[in-house]
Amino acid sequence: MPPTPPEPHQLESSFLKSTTPKALVTVAVAMAVVYFLVLAFLFPRGNQVLFWLLMAGEIFHIWQIATYVYTVWDQPAGGAPYRPVSGGAPALPADVFITVTGEPTEVVEATARAALRMNYPAGFNVYLLNDGKIAKKPNWREAESLAKRLGIACITRQKPGGAKAGNINHALRLTRNPLVVVFDADQMPRPDFLKKSAAYFSDPEVGFVQSPQYYKNFNTNEITRGAWEQQELFFGPICKGKNRLNSAFLCGTNMAIRRAALEQAGGMFEKSIAEDFLTSLFLHERGWKSIYIPEILAEGLAPEDFLSYYKQQFRWARGSLEMVFRYNPLLRRGLTWHQKIQYLASASYYLSGLVVLLNALLPLVFFFTGQVPLIVSTMGLTAIFLPYIFLVILTLRLTSNYSYTFRALSFSMASFPIHIQALWAVLTNQNSGFSVTAKKKLDGNFLYLSAPHLLYIAAALLGMEWGYLRDGLTAPLLTNMSWALFNIMVFLPFVFASGPWAETARQQGENQPGLKYAEPASESVFKLKDG
Amino acid sequence: MPNEYFKTISPALDAYAVPDYGNAAAGQGETSVPWTDRLILGLLMLAVLGVSLFFLSKQSLRLDEAQSIWQASHTAQGVLHTIAEDVTLPLYPLLLHFWIFMFGDGVGMLRLMSLLFFLATIPAIYFLGLLAYDRRVGLAAAAFTAVSPFLNWYGNEIRTYSLMVLLAVLNHFYFLSVYKRSRAASGAKQAAWWLGYALTGLLGVYTHYLFWFLLLSQALFFLFYRRRFPAGTFWGLALTAIALLAALAPWAYYVFVLIKQISNSEPMLLRPHLIDLFNVFSQFLFGFQDDHLNTLIIALWPLAVVMAFLSLRKKIKIPPESVYFFIATFFPILAIFALSVTVRPIFLSRYLIFSVPSLYLFLIWLISTYPKFLKHAAEWAVIAGMAIMLAVQIYKPDTPVKEDYRGVSAYLSQNTNPQDIVVISSPFTIYPIEYYYAGTANMVTLPIWDRAAVGAIPPFSQQELLSDAGQIQMAHQKAYLVLSYDQGYQKNIKDYFDSHFPLLSRQNFSPGLNVYVYDLQNKYGAGKKS
Repeated sequence: MPPTPPEPHQLESSFLKSTTPKALVTVAVAMAVVYFLVLAFLFPRGNQVLFWLLMAGEIFHIWQIATYVYTVWDQPAGGAPYRPVSGGAPALPADVFITVTGEPTEVVEATARAALRMNYPAGFNVYLLNDGKIAKKPNWREAESLAKRLGIACITRQKPGGAKAGNINHALRLTRNPLVVVFDADQMPRPDFLKKSAAYFSDPEVGFVQSPQYYKNFNTNEITRGAWEQQELFFGPICKGKNRLNSAFLCGTNMAIRRAALEQAGGMFEKSIAEDFLTSLFLHERGWKSIYIPEILAEGLAPEDFLSYYKQQFRWARGSLEMVFRYNPLLRRGLTWHQKIQYLASASYYLSGLVVLLNALLPLVFFFTGQVPLIVSTMGLTAIFLPYIFLVILTLRLTSNYSYTFRALSFSMASFPIHIQALWAVLTNQNSGFSVTAKKKLDGNFLYLSAPHLLYIAAALLGMEWGYLRDGLTAPLLTNMSWALFNIMVFLPFVFASGPWAETARQQGENQPGLKYAEPASESVFKLKDG
Repeated sequence: MPNEYFKTISPALDAYAVPDYGNAAAGQGETSVPWTDRLILGLLMLAVLGVSLFFLSKQSLRLDEAQSIWQASHTAQGVLHTIAEDVTLPLYPLLLHFWIFMFGDGVGMLRLMSLLFFLATIPAIYFLGLLAYDRRVGLAAAAFTAVSPFLNWYGNEIRTYSLMVLLAVLNHFYFLSVYKRSRAASGAKQAAWWLGYALTGLLGVYTHYLFWFLLLSQALFFLFYRRRFPAGTFWGLALTAIALLAALAPWAYYVFVLIKQISNSEPMLLRPHLIDLFNVFSQFLFGFQDDHLNTLIIALWPLAVVMAFLSLRKKIKIPPESVYFFIATFFPILAIFALSVTVRPIFLSRYLIFSVPSLYLFLIWLISTYPKFLKHAAEWAVIAGMAIMLAVQIYKPDTPVKEDYRGVSAYLSQNTNPQDIVVISSPFTIYPIEYYYAGTANMVTLPIWDRAAVGAIPPFSQQELLSDAGQIQMAHQKAYLVLSYDQGYQKNIKDYFDSHFPLLSRQNFSPGLNVYVYDLQNKYGAGKKS
């Protein structure tokens, strides 16, 4: 049966055309600093504990703004000047690994067929790396049948260990082509994936090449939209900026790696659930260059249900925070300062959960106790805060080429419980099992995952009443009510996405291939084991 | 190899479909106005007329209004002379002069002229919104305007401000017509827009000095977006600026060379504080409210952050029109604030009224970027909030801008007799009092001001106060001291009377407008109070 080409669909790629207005972002950073200084020194302090917590949060904000601006400072317009060096070494034959852990066979088949269609004169072999058996997936044999049917190899692991990284390392030992390419089971490569990615290896110092993890089902429901819109900021301006600073990192799929480099780094790192992130760090430590191609070369699936999204975010947060606390890039040798800061900036993003929670709690503290971090009796602080925050919003809009959305902001900020749980898991040294993001929708009501937000909304409403009964309708009460409302508005899209109604809202993806599956959720959110 | 499987189809996806205001063609095609829009505009104008007829036009004459009437009541040449002494501009006073000539000087009739300018602003801003964005924005802008407590207030005041707003809207319209439509238009149309732009600019700069800041905003916008303008725009703008300066030159010559005399009748302005900056926006949206309510409104400022964050939506770029309205709103306000802090205080919300239409249009654009439900909810919430505040502004007696000089005059007419004297300070507040006053006691100002004599109001000095008060005391039984519009010496006057004469009664009529009655026949001994 001839391979069936996927349906043409609307490709969302404007996020790759981002640019940076330098004057604007400079002013934004300057305003952030001015705001911080005014906050720190110009007003009498209220409650000391609240004040210092607020200060800590603001320092973190400045770190985030400064590193973001530093990252996106010089984005080439249109993604143009990412060119392989010409006249370098000849193209390298490749081994293409498709990692499979019980995903629907239709999804895997589509990916395998797309891999086989790749146009690459230097030659390549396609392998299904089947971990279904050790993961006790009922359909694990289907991968072998599929491989036979397509005439490709299937490497089925018999012994567990190392999760996805272990699966890849196992395959590395059984294959030999100098280039290794990894796709998740749902990431269908374009025919020119290899041609474009491998071209960069003509530079013998290039260790790995990464391209965007595009979600073709991004418009299926609130969850896919939220997940994708977060990705756009990362795979747009941030990754482009990291490429400029030789700090792009592996993202687990759609990546091409020089085998020699990977072997030098000891293979994919198996001791973390963010194996890709840490492996990149080890490759950079050994002096290998990295490339990010700002072009969609493969298309995959976003998590379509809230539980899968939650688990994916937890895995990323857990792995990144491990880097902060166990493999802190500032303390490691072999990295450039650009790389140290870039790794730390990305990894420390997941500390923002604490700051979000703290800022959200400040109005509640006021409602119930009347305590404030600062005693502000004039509009001076507001007069600085408003232009500062508006400039930050404008910076986000412009540097992301208008791809960043309120929903993305909501999903990022409202993920604070995930980030805090991940932080706790890291600090208490808990092991979190690697759980592959589901490639099919899990039906169910995941509203319980928004319990912290619902609790916040209830506490805020109660607090407003409490504060009103205590103080009457005063200006401080109204300002704190407005901030509480701000937090509620930010949390609402996340809460909405977690409810059963989100499943039925705009099921546009129903007709897309590979998106028709549903089975009851049977897993707990995290597989936490004692260290 | 071209890839047929992955076609890139870049236009906005259905899920994100939003008005593409950045598109140069947006707002150009809609030339006819649907009957529904005509009906809505008509109803909005009718509502404004009703609010005016039943409420606003019935209020007491205010100081500024009385001054306008007094200025316009001269001969045409006299109008020019008094206006020149006042270092203000003559367009509105001259129009008012001829209006009085035709329709008389009843307060309601005089306010009608301002109301007509205000009523004309409603369709004008609709067409501006239609040109800049689309008819939805136009209708929302018309609704914002119609329920605006701030614009309703000045739409019923015998002052230049509603004319200034109308001219600002028309000037925006012609400027954006040049920007958006010139390329596809005939030479005659282009000439008409340029003519309209220059004419509204000319009338604007003859209406208020600060109108120049609107024109400067346009220059700033041109600087940023010059490549998007049709060829020759620079010369068009430069020639217009030269023409306006040339047209204003005779007036400047008349004021500063021929007249040379400044009347000293301007209210004393203080250097603004940051809170005044926020007050301006609060007033532009929710009108004049008492201190407590105004403080509560300003305390809601984090909602502005919510509004800004909600505008983070996919592929919704900031169209040049919105940048234009942003500049036209914030540049004049911030520049005049800075000037007022560093050079000379000129920061009053009414002087900045020409920024209101652009503020409304910018806000409506911002709201129009929200998802559909949120967009409607936010629009209606703002409109409802403005309408409620309009009602509050009308009904509350302590609305800060209310000046019940009619009440004062009625009180004086009823309570005074020929042996009493009415003492008024600041001197120029005599205009609205005498407009209504029908009593028998003489009226005098402190400092004593002979309005028949050429020249400015005499400046205050403590020494003159003693001398003037001595004259006032002679042969009178009671002094009715009317204090309003503190020019910096109100406390001196009050202290003088308190320390020399027993206070018989005190009456408050509106915020800052008080009448104190003193017994002049029982003077305290020296040093009773200091």
